[in-house]
Amino acid sequence: MSRRDATDHIGYYFRKEKWTLLVVAATGILYNAGMVAGPWFEGQMVQYLCDILGGNRQAMEMVTLAACYVLTILFVQFMRYLKRLYVRKFANHISKSMKMTLYRNLLHRKQEDLEGAGSMMTKIISDADACVEGMRKFTTEVFDTGVVIIAYLVMLLSYDWKLTLLSMLFPPIAYFLAEQLKAVVTKNVAQSRESSARLNAATLERVTNALTYRVYGQETNRNGAYEKNLTDYEKKAVRANIWENAMQPIYQVISMLGAIAIIWFGGKNVFGTGWSAWNIAAFTTFFSCYQKLAVKSSKAAKLFNAVQKAQVSWKRIKSYLAPVEEEPERSIAAGSALSVQSVTFAYPGRQALFTNVTFAAKPGEVVGLTGKIACGKSTLGKLLTGELPYQGEIFLGDVRFSNEGGRYENGVGYLGHRPELFSGTIEENICMGKPGDIGPVLRAVCIDREVEEFPDGIHTVIGSGGVRLSGGQQARLALARTLYHKKPLMVLDDPFSAVDLETETRIFANLRVLAKDSVVLLISHRLSLFPQMDRVLWLEDGTVTVASHGELIQKNVHYRTLCEAQRKEAASDEN
Amino acid sequence: MKTESSVAGIIGNTLRKHPWLSVLLLLTILLSIGFSLLPPLVLEKIVDTLTAGEPILFSVAVGYFAIVAVSGLLDAAKESLITAFGQKVTHHIRSVMSEKLKRLPASYFVEREPGVTASRFVNDVNTVDNLFSSGIISMAADLCKLVSILVIIFMKSTGLGLLLLKVTPLLFWMTRTFQKRMLKAQMENRVAVGRTNQQIPETLNNMRTIRVLHREPYMLERYGDTIEQSYRAQERSNFYDAVYSPIVVSVSSLLIGIVMAASAKSGTVQLFFGMSAGTAAAVIAYVSNFFGPLESIGMEIQNVQSAVAGVRRINEFLKETEQKKSTEQVRGDSIAVRVCDVSFGYREQEREIFHNFSLTVAEGESVVLAGRTGAGKSTLVTLIAGLYQPRQGTVRVFGRAPETIPEDEKRRWFGYVEQQFRLVPGTVGDQVSLLDPQVTDAQIRQALEMVGLGETVDKLPQGIHTPCAESLFSQGQFQLLAIARAVVLDPRILLLDEITANLDSQTEELVLSALRAASQNRTVLSVSHRLYSGAPNRHTRFVTL
Repeated sequence: MSRRDATDHIGYYFRKEKWTLLVVAATGILYNAGMVAGPWFEGQMVQYLCDILGGNRQAMEMVTLAACYVLTILFVQFMRYLKRLYVRKFANHISKSMKMTLYRNLLHRKQEDLEGAGSMMTKIISDADACVEGMRKFTTEVFDTGVVIIAYLVMLLSYDWKLTLLSMLFPPIAYFLAEQLKAVVTKNVAQSRESSARLNAATLERVTNALTYRVYGQETNRNGAYEKNLTDYEKKAVRANIWENAMQPIYQVISMLGAIAIIWFGGKNVFGTGWSAWNIAAFTTFFSCYQKLAVKSSKAAKLFNAVQKAQVSWKRIKSYLAPVEEEPERSIAAGSALSVQSVTFAYPGRQALFTNVTFAAKPGEVVGLTGKIACGKSTLGKLLTGELPYQGEIFLGDVRFSNEGGRYENGVGYLGHRPELFSGTIEENICMGKPGDIGPVLRAVCIDREVEEFPDGIHTVIGSGGVRLSGGQQARLALARTLYHKKPLMVLDDPFSAVDLETETRIFANLRVLAKDSVVLLISHRLSLFPQMDRVLWLEDGTVTVASHGELIQKNVHYRTLCEAQRKEAASDEN
Repeated sequence: MKTESSVAGIIGNTLRKHPWLSVLLLLTILLSIGFSLLPPLVLEKIVDTLTAGEPILFSVAVGYFAIVAVSGLLDAAKESLITAFGQKVTHHIRSVMSEKLKRLPASYFVEREPGVTASRFVNDVNTVDNLFSSGIISMAADLCKLVSILVIIFMKSTGLGLLLLKVTPLLFWMTRTFQKRMLKAQMENRVAVGRTNQQIPETLNNMRTIRVLHREPYMLERYGDTIEQSYRAQERSNFYDAVYSPIVVSVSSLLIGIVMAASAKSGTVQLFFGMSAGTAAAVIAYVSNFFGPLESIGMEIQNVQSAVAGVRRINEFLKETEQKKSTEQVRGDSIAVRVCDVSFGYREQEREIFHNFSLTVAEGESVVLAGRTGAGKSTLVTLIAGLYQPRQGTVRVFGRAPETIPEDEKRRWFGYVEQQFRLVPGTVGDQVSLLDPQVTDAQIRQALEMVGLGETVDKLPQGIHTPCAESLFSQGQFQLLAIARAVVLDPRILLLDEITANLDSQTEELVLSALRAASQNRTVLSVSHRLYSGAPNRHTRFVTL
């Protein structure tokens, strides 16, 4: 990929849409050049009428002329329609590819850079919108202002170049004046916006603290202060509006000073005492062209404003549009064994959470990991995904994991505390774009019956974050998803916390069958299932003890106490 | 003014209050329409003069410009006056609404998000502004202009007038259809945009799952799909947008073409269409001016429609049930607080929090309200402060219903330390005075001294005039400020709600001693919290709810 073709180069977007732009250019030139046809035909028609009334022309000639006029206008307007449509298409396409690039970048951003990314993305996206809007305006105005002004000027010059130059003195004056006053306009508009922001803040504050003010008898005082905000806003809003909108007609008046010259000298032209010999057609065409030109030129400033605004936005988003490099996939064969060798981990600037953790597991084995609260068992689970940097080595089959952190290994499935569901259907949440039958996993997590009872079955929409489901349903759905995307190693962090004991046992049995060629690491503080584990990891004071459940009961006092305490609790619950 | 419970009433009042502005506005609109119609007439004269082979007088050229200039200035004046008037109306509406805030019951503020209420003030009133500046007034003006042009065209060319009369309803119908479809497409687009925007926080929340399962391509596809949906809606709106004005221009040139052809033909048609060259030039100018107002009217109808919802919400706000106030005669009483057989629940159907509860607190006494969570300790305090009125029974403070105490006396009656400190905009001193002009700087300093914040505040760059921010004080210090705020005007009764902040033991001691200082020589009613119950003074009486 060459530098100019990169997604953070503005030319990339224009080039990508070159066919759309080509249509825009062709239709834009035809339409704007055709804009002079209107005044020309209208002038000719007035002239013909004049001639017919004077008996110098046949009425049929007018009919032909009028027909030509209508057809030409139809054609020009059709070009205009195409141009407008394609400019908007162009904007839509660019907006889409920019947003897709921004989103792709977000997906590949490092985990630690995600803090505050939400509000930042909102800003960036609105900048992208502003940028696209600027590009659209620029593309539009290049033709609708640039081309059309040239077309009108050529037309005028061809009729009488002296008169054109004379009358064209005035629009630049209007433009110059508008430029001079721009600072004042901007200042007033800014002041009005500030006042509006103050008013909004004051409104929210008045309502938020309403009861405090009431208890302290300050409501009338605060309304008085609010009234001051209102008065200030009224004054500034009116002033800004006058500067912004009411000045426009005045600029046009200044531009129209040229009309005096045209009527006076143009009249002389027709009378035969002027610079050029004109007929009525020339007079009306010239006059109407000039009027249209005056209006157009007063809007020329828009072109520059749009470009300026877009540039500011572009600068802000440019760095977020840099192309990302996607990591190559490394496939790990099913039925690979896990081997963790002297792994040590510490959060930056703190002492090690655990040291020299070593254990291994064969496919089909379920390993239980437990320990007291905050002993670091969840962190150990996360470590296996590749998210965190560590010392030591982890192998899955013959693939050695990177220990630098910040990436996710291919052969590892992970289910954390939060179900992380999407607002979509149940099926979408499980498949996430990987087609297949979700029946088996739904049955495995014992949610199939409940799903059948939903109004739309697996096509039921579960709302943002799965709000329409209960906590237990959310947890089981998330587990079903992890099982659906089966990996050689699956780390499940407390998947049964929101599930009752009986269901837990059934799901566990299903899990064994479903994951018979995978290694499963089950992290839990609930130990009812631990007697069935192939191996138990007990994490305490930074070291891991690896043993079977029976052995641990024998030799580890803390493990034994924990098991017993939970058994008692369960027993008392049943009573 | 009794009529101020609806937007319409407020607008009427604004009109009456500013009679000159209203008259001026009307006059300017009429004049601006009149002048905007003149230039083509002058053009007609000029062309006819030229056709007749006569020279044009310089004064005519200047006259033409003068008319254009006056018309432009009138336009500017019209725009400004409409804005000024619209702003007067919205100002007035907001004033009336802020007055309404004073009369709303406390429950209104508790049950609603402040943002929702604030949006009545901000967004909904803004739609009323739109209703004015780009709705009703401009619609009336455009309608006038449309009719005037039609009349002139009829006078110039009956045939064209009849044609226009036939075409106008058709074009107007097309305009409305297009605008409605565009609006619909825009709504769909907005929904799709909402969905697209929603995917960002969702992606961030679920990032680990996406990455672990390597579903980034799927998420990208999903994002692309929602964008695509929004664009399909937008393309539809683009189509109507792109096709509308070309159709209008085509129709108007078709009309001009027909008229010109017809007027050139001799015979009976000539009666309808016959005109001079000058008239032809004028008519062409009028026809191209005719469709502008037509399109605007369509837009204005839409603006009015969208403003209707805003107006309705404002009216609902203005009609909200207001706080009831006791009308009982004031009788002096030496008992500080007398709660008699009070029953209270927050909402109509809700169960009562307490039933037939009675309590008397003598002047100078200190009472601690104890009881489990939800027993209504804080609720009782808010009843005594007059925020809520009991369903049954009476609450009297020195013989007076608390809600009837005049505003400017309240702080001499009560000091109310809330659960959470409410930061108000302004300086550190303003936190204590609560922006109350009757509080002097000396009183603020004294209150700060009393709660032990004097030194801390003196160390600030501008002392009590330092702008206050969250970062300036710790949570505990804000609690001290809350106490200072309560006692600054030396109230007879101090009401202490539970202070919920987690305070370290050192700060806890500070707050505690500040409370002790503030309670001296006062009637104190406090909700039990570990700070206060830990160190009861000797007059303290415990009441369990």
